[in-house]
Amino acid sequence: MARFLLLRLGLIVVTLLVISFAVFGVTEVLPGDVATQILGQGATPENIAVVRERLGLDDPWPVRYLSWVGGVVRGDLGESLVQRLPITEMVGSRLVNSLILASFTFFVAMPIAVAVGIWAGVHRNSLGDRLASMFSLVAISLPEFVTGVVLIILFSTTLGWLPSSSLVEPGTNPLTRPQILVLPALTLTGVMFAYVMRMTRANVIEVLETNYVRSAILKGLPMRRVIWRHVVPNAMLPTISVITLNIGWLLGGLIIVENVFSYPGIGRMLLTSIQTRDMPLLQALALLIAATYAVSNLFADLAYTWLNPRIRFA
Amino acid sequence: MSIASFLSPATQESVAPPAEGVPLLEVRDLSVTFYTPRGTVRAVRHASFTVRRGEVLGLVGESGCGKSTVAFATLAYLPGTAEVGGSILFEGRDLMTMPAGELRDLRGSRIAMVYQDPGSALNPTMRVGEQVEEVLHTHLGLSGQAAEERAASLFESVGLPNPARVGRRFPHELSGGQQQRVVIAMALACEPDLLLMDEPTTGLDVTTEATILDLVAELKNRVNAGIVFVSHNLGVIARVADRVAVMYAGQVIEEAPVRELFANPSHPYTAGLLSCVPAPVNETGLMPQLRNIPGSVYPASEPNVDACLFADRCPMVQDICRESAPPEIVANAEGHPVRCFFPERVDSDTWGEPAPRPRKPRSTNEAPLLQVDGLHQYYGNDRKKYIFFGPPSRRPVRANVDVDFAIQPGRTLGIVGESGSGKSTAARSIAGLERRTSGEVLLDGEPLAAGVGDRPRGQQSKVRMVFQNPAASLNPRLPIGSVLVRSIRKSRSVGKAEARGIAVELLESVGLDGGYMDRRPRELSGGQQQRVALAAAFAADPELIIADEAVSALDVSVQAQVLNLIAERQRREGTAFMFITHDLGVVRYISDDILVLYGGHVVETGPAEAVLRPPWSPYTEALLSAAPVPDPDAEPSRIRLEGAVPTLRQPFAGCPFAGRCPRNLGDLCDNTPPPMRVDPADPRHQILCHIPLEELAADQRAAMRGRSAVGEAPGGR
Repeated sequence: MARFLLLRLGLIVVTLLVISFAVFGVTEVLPGDVATQILGQGATPENIAVVRERLGLDDPWPVRYLSWVGGVVRGDLGESLVQRLPITEMVGSRLVNSLILASFTFFVAMPIAVAVGIWAGVHRNSLGDRLASMFSLVAISLPEFVTGVVLIILFSTTLGWLPSSSLVEPGTNPLTRPQILVLPALTLTGVMFAYVMRMTRANVIEVLETNYVRSAILKGLPMRRVIWRHVVPNAMLPTISVITLNIGWLLGGLIIVENVFSYPGIGRMLLTSIQTRDMPLLQALALLIAATYAVSNLFADLAYTWLNPRIRFA
Repeated sequence: MSIASFLSPATQESVAPPAEGVPLLEVRDLSVTFYTPRGTVRAVRHASFTVRRGEVLGLVGESGCGKSTVAFATLAYLPGTAEVGGSILFEGRDLMTMPAGELRDLRGSRIAMVYQDPGSALNPTMRVGEQVEEVLHTHLGLSGQAAEERAASLFESVGLPNPARVGRRFPHELSGGQQQRVVIAMALACEPDLLLMDEPTTGLDVTTEATILDLVAELKNRVNAGIVFVSHNLGVIARVADRVAVMYAGQVIEEAPVRELFANPSHPYTAGLLSCVPAPVNETGLMPQLRNIPGSVYPASEPNVDACLFADRCPMVQDICRESAPPEIVANAEGHPVRCFFPERVDSDTWGEPAPRPRKPRSTNEAPLLQVDGLHQYYGNDRKKYIFFGPPSRRPVRANVDVDFAIQPGRTLGIVGESGSGKSTAARSIAGLERRTSGEVLLDGEPLAAGVGDRPRGQQSKVRMVFQNPAASLNPRLPIGSVLVRSIRKSRSVGKAEARGIAVELLESVGLDGGYMDRRPRELSGGQQQRVALAAAFAADPELIIADEAVSALDVSVQAQVLNLIAERQRREGTAFMFITHDLGVVRYISDDILVLYGGHVVETGPAEAVLRPPWSPYTEALLSAAPVPDPDAEPSRIRLEGAVPTLRQPFAGCPFAGRCPRNLGDLCDNTPPPMRVDPADPRHQILCHIPLEELAADQRAAMRGRSAVGEAPGGR
């Protein structure tokens, strides 16, 4: 186990290094000059030169890369070019907001998706199974910005039940007004729900065909026990990998959904940073998202290991 | 603690005494038909038999004869698409019309099952103890410590080591034999009245099979249950059954007490099955030629016809056999039922006199075709606990250690050993599929490169390999003809048309006509596929064919066809074979020389007739002793090996076999590597053992005294 953890943590460090390099490279080639962006179109070349000098934009790229990575390692993400604030401070509350939305989605949507998947797998080809499959197919095919807009039109413009934008007042936390979370979470759920539910269903059907489930049935066990003790734990193993993949989806979906609903999370911040050419902020956010993804993957792998005794002790 | 005490008072009351004279299980004219998208499958056509309390009914037949379907039907476990005719009466009550709730109460408590492939029959994510305890909980209401204690005593009663602790293990932590013991414990949990065993030893090593069969034989006396024992292996059936029902194409075609059936088969199919099994060595040390049943089983996709379904393969077929179905009639004075018009005509020569095999010319002085010196094959690298530092946590698997052997042109080397002994590794190294770690391999005196890709084309076509599973080694999308033509054109410079001509000849040489050229592998039966695989190997006109368990998955009748084909090819073309198998009967039938491997080491080698007579290495002795004999009167053999081949990650301090050896001398064997001793009677016969050969031979002859004869123990797997 120690070996496994060590290996995985090492791999995460390597992954993040590669990503930091890629992110840095991408921001290098992005068009647009930061100094011009800050000073506006009418700036004189002298002023631009001064600003470039102060920001260290004229240093050769390896120097800038190393000083950036060095800062990140020390916990200093740098300073936003536009807002002139330390990024570490700016990101904090935004990150919390995003995590709240993501966890809200994850912990509501996943159990329901898994439960529906199990039910559909056990009652294969029943009316309910067909309906669930149909619904999930529709959900998979619709992108988030469509689902989001449809939901807004339905639940806020027409029915007026829920707010159409999910602004959070400064100094407060989304949980003080949880109703603003419902529509974004519902939107995010769509695609994830469909994938996880279909995968769970397929796995349940596969496990139902195995010899050990046959043994369990022929032991005379009640069907309830056969399903919960023999089918579900084994069907969950491959499902976990799919759920893990979905964390990536979820993080990507956040960027879109936060913008549709004006929700103050890192997704929205990311978009703003691109629009304003705020490179340090963009780099920091990209790295942060990558790190979140890598760490959640590690947790998923640990859960998998815990569920699967065959590799638990390897 | 006895099994009987497991019954709670409540269960004992619920067991209604069956009416007088009602058999425990009566299957009456059962038919099972599956309607699948790919067509109708008539798995069982007419099966009738009864099982009484305290007896073992053996259900025997080749694959596709409906044996397993009968077993699962007895638990009313058939897919919804199955159509069932006839009835299955358990204590007089029809299982097919029983309400689901009552059926569930019967399953696992009064009717229990043991399956083929125990590894897949156990839930991989659940500790084995819990898997037994849940049966006790469901049917007897036991839970917690009471259930745990009873599970432990069940584990003890099936001979699992450390019964109090073994319940904490997961299935993958147990060997195949131990897994099967867990499944048996699970089946015995509620002391069932009827026990169904579906090929419980198929896929296990002979040594493990022998210990499981001992357990079944012991259970027969201990629990007063009726047992239905399904197997394709006549040796296994002879060992455990009291009565035998033979199935063919979904029909029970003969039923008789076991001795009666083996001594006096009354259906030509039964007689054929018995004559397909490689028989004991006769005085000359050379086995008579195997007789075989031509063709293959009447397919389940074919409709029921008013004729004998065996007619197309029967050597004594008459017009009447094709015009009407034989009724089940009483065959003879002993009165056992048989589905044949002419049961009185069936005798041991129904399938022809056993023809003596033409002797191969001895070629001992000839230069060897293949010479292997000091072959080592290790898998994996050293691993440390913390990746770059820390104590070593895992060493490479030493699959072959210092293996030496040679094969003369035109001769067959049989390689035997349990799974994990390194047989297949040796084959793959020689074929170049695995790059050997070290060692020298010479083919015709020329060094053979480690990887097949580094060998010149000429050498590549000289060595060919045939695998166990032909379906997996033939490209499913290519017609048979293309497979052969490719193989031919790779090794010879001939045109397409000419290659097709050669391909047809090759097919004919393996007993298939040219019409098969355009068929795809999945349209062929397993035996036909294996013949195509052999034809593809022959296509390159090789000097050496490596056959890795090439007949193991085949039915005995088809196995006999393929073995004869190989012998024929060898006689005509002088091809040498390296024949790997776990079946000692097959090895004895086909081999000129035998190499016995254990834990990656050679423990015995020599000419077949020398290896098959004492002195044996203690390992060879155990292997021979474990093989089931298709003779109900054969005494159960005496040597049993528990456990499995040990992990090969650590070098052995002493003899590789020391840990399981029944003749272990203690410290010497455990800590000093044994010498390779040379048999003075035949210097090519060598045995790895600390015990002097004269002593070994004397002990082994003494141990056999009273038993029928020297190593007459062919397995019919």
